[in-house]
Amino acid sequence: MTPNKVNISISGKTVQASEGETIVRALWAAGLGGLVEVGCAGGVCGACTVTLRFSDGRPGGTDLACMRAVEEGMQIFPCPVETQPVPAPQTDPTAEKIRAAFPTLDRCTKCGSCTTACPMSIPVMDSVLRMQSENFEAVAEDFTTCIHCGLCRFVCEDKVKPHHMGMWVRRSLGMSRDSDLLGAGAPPDSFSEKDAEKEWDWLLTADPDERLRRATSFRETGRL
Amino acid sequence: MDWASDSIQKVEKTRAERMKQAPPVLSDADKDELLREFHPDFVGMKRPVRVGPNADDQEFPNELADLLEADSPLPEDFQPRADIETDVLIIGGGGAGVSAALALEGSGLTVHLATKLRLGDSNTVMAEGGIQAALGPEDSPRRHFADALAGGHGKNDPALLRALCEAGPSAIDWLTGLGCMFDQNPEGSFRLRSGGGTSTPRVLACRDYTGLEIMRVLRDALVQGSANLLEHHSAVELLDNGQGLTSGAVFWNSKTRRWVTVSARAVLLATGGSGRLHFQGFPTSNHFGATGDGLILAYRQGCPLVHAHTFQYHPSGTSYPEALVGQLVTESIRSIGAQLLNKDGEQFVEELTFRDVVASAIIREVVEGRGVKTPTARRGVWLDTPMIELKSGEGTIRRQFPGLIHRFERYGIDPAKQPILVYPTLHYQNGGVSIDSDGSAGNVGLWAAGEVTGGLHGTNRLMGNSLLDITVFGRRAAESIKNNLPKREALTLAALARFREELKSLDHKSSETSPILFPKESGMKLEIDAGEGAGTKTETSSAQQETTSYEPPDPFSRPA
Repeated sequence: MTPNKVNISISGKTVQASEGETIVRALWAAGLGGLVEVGCAGGVCGACTVTLRFSDGRPGGTDLACMRAVEEGMQIFPCPVETQPVPAPQTDPTAEKIRAAFPTLDRCTKCGSCTTACPMSIPVMDSVLRMQSENFEAVAEDFTTCIHCGLCRFVCEDKVKPHHMGMWVRRSLGMSRDSDLLGAGAPPDSFSEKDAEKEWDWLLTADPDERLRRATSFRETGRL
Repeated sequence: MDWASDSIQKVEKTRAERMKQAPPVLSDADKDELLREFHPDFVGMKRPVRVGPNADDQEFPNELADLLEADSPLPEDFQPRADIETDVLIIGGGGAGVSAALALEGSGLTVHLATKLRLGDSNTVMAEGGIQAALGPEDSPRRHFADALAGGHGKNDPALLRALCEAGPSAIDWLTGLGCMFDQNPEGSFRLRSGGGTSTPRVLACRDYTGLEIMRVLRDALVQGSANLLEHHSAVELLDNGQGLTSGAVFWNSKTRRWVTVSARAVLLATGGSGRLHFQGFPTSNHFGATGDGLILAYRQGCPLVHAHTFQYHPSGTSYPEALVGQLVTESIRSIGAQLLNKDGEQFVEELTFRDVVASAIIREVVEGRGVKTPTARRGVWLDTPMIELKSGEGTIRRQFPGLIHRFERYGIDPAKQPILVYPTLHYQNGGVSIDSDGSAGNVGLWAAGEVTGGLHGTNRLMGNSLLDITVFGRRAAESIKNNLPKREALTLAALARFREELKSLDHKSSETSPILFPKESGMKLEIDAGEGAGTKTETSSAQQETTSYEPPDPFSRPA
């Protein structure tokens, strides 16, 4: 079955594409692979940011070229976002600490551009307001799916840096978690080192076939 | 998905009954037979290579064999002269390379990290399901070892595997200390899930974005550190001192289109996998740069590859819609109860056995005519995601798998209400460059870590062991480099010259050059700008002349 053809334009240049394929694949097929940067081609690295317009007058916007399917009349413009230096996270974050790290936090005018621009549907502007009021657990939740494409920062006229702040909050909270409560670090091994070494000796037998047999039986209980 | 409504109706009709059903369990003999008859490692097109350290000793998929026998894109008269001098050169900007760079912070050594794309563009960032560590009440590093060895068909290098399993808990502690937020139980402890082939819950996750969480934290930590970044630098050749000691590398800067030569006292190869070579015509879940470059570079230096004829075909790659073909649907979906079903709504395999077995079982359903065909002539089987909502309550999928929902919603599919169509996708390079437990590639001056290496996972990796692999072995290699740093050596292309001599003995030479750097389907090429400097001729790699819009056809979806 041959897919239907549609006409799209990239930076003003018209090319034909197959209906149903992504913008990235359409550009590859047209020999224009370098025009939009690609990192993962799976919607999680944020390299392939583009702005879009439609011939039928629907509002355009921003998206990831690797996740968006082409459609008739779609106009595509590459929109790469440069990386920037970021301040280091701090344990036990507070509103005061985030304001010191990001002096533009309170410049947000609640225009909502960041939320509109986010290809991951994160409520970015609401989350910036939550940062101002130190509601950090909710911020961490908001930015769980952030791919750091940078579009929220790119569209902000007031130089607020939502995704950098989201990362700062997440890392600051993550670093402050109680390692003992999490159960990180130490295996729950009530075994003495000597007994553990006995298990290793038995599992690491030199004969590969016997080693596989022993591993298979060890899996059943996790003990000799 | 109206085109599949008949089949979806069958899935819905049988759902209540299936909820009570135990999956069909295969005996070990049945599993072996299934693998031999249907797994691409066994039935795919393959051949031995005729040159280099693995000459005639094992078979590789044709796509890889062609590249191992191909010439370098470097001009014959290229003279390496150092543009950059550093202590440690890390090649690769994914999890393994960045972990190593972080472990070298504070060592006083100058570190350069080169990456073909941008920092973090890697398979790491695409990993979804989780990372294993023996932290559960019934668990131990020995049990982790036993599970991974059984999953790897006993082929795993025991010393590497022991090092991995013993370092699991401390690796999680390290990541948490950097700020990674793994999912917690309501009372605050880590939530541990089962994965295919784990005998007790051992998989930590951050929703279905575990790799993204780890990679973005590592990247954030790295840019605040002292390592020097060389983005858009593709490694095309390793350099040696003329006596087998690695001493640097030649890069192609894809922005300036010039060669860049780096002299280093230690080189760490962390270039990742090769899914974008589309072995056996399969689609892939791998990132854009996964073209096996590191295998080629190490091979020309005389480093043997181990298990590099085996690849992991993840059972659940997306088969519909077309725009998402090959993309991963995490194994955790099966961990928490979604069943795999053929077109008649029948369960045909135990969902949480080893990945190679599940993938083979899916291929068998399709080959024997019990698969579902999409409007673009792809095939697949159903992954009954709505079962999760029935088993664990409404809203579970949206809460725990936001990535899955986000991807499918764009295309009008709600996995909480409709099953999704899946088919195996090329996911992981099980084998690679042979290393010891310090990450040394056996060639003085050269270390390797992560997916580019082989031996650790045997011939089939368990879910969650690759994210652990990169954090553990990236840092182990860094420690070993610190303790065994060679002195600076001369820069020559002696190993390449020897390899080129060997190539002359071949009757049929490959017309390609390698590494190819970009997947063939992208049509992108290595091109050198005319101008001053070494290798001034305009060079175009012959490797990527053909461009195709879709993945190549999949030979395993032949009709019954």
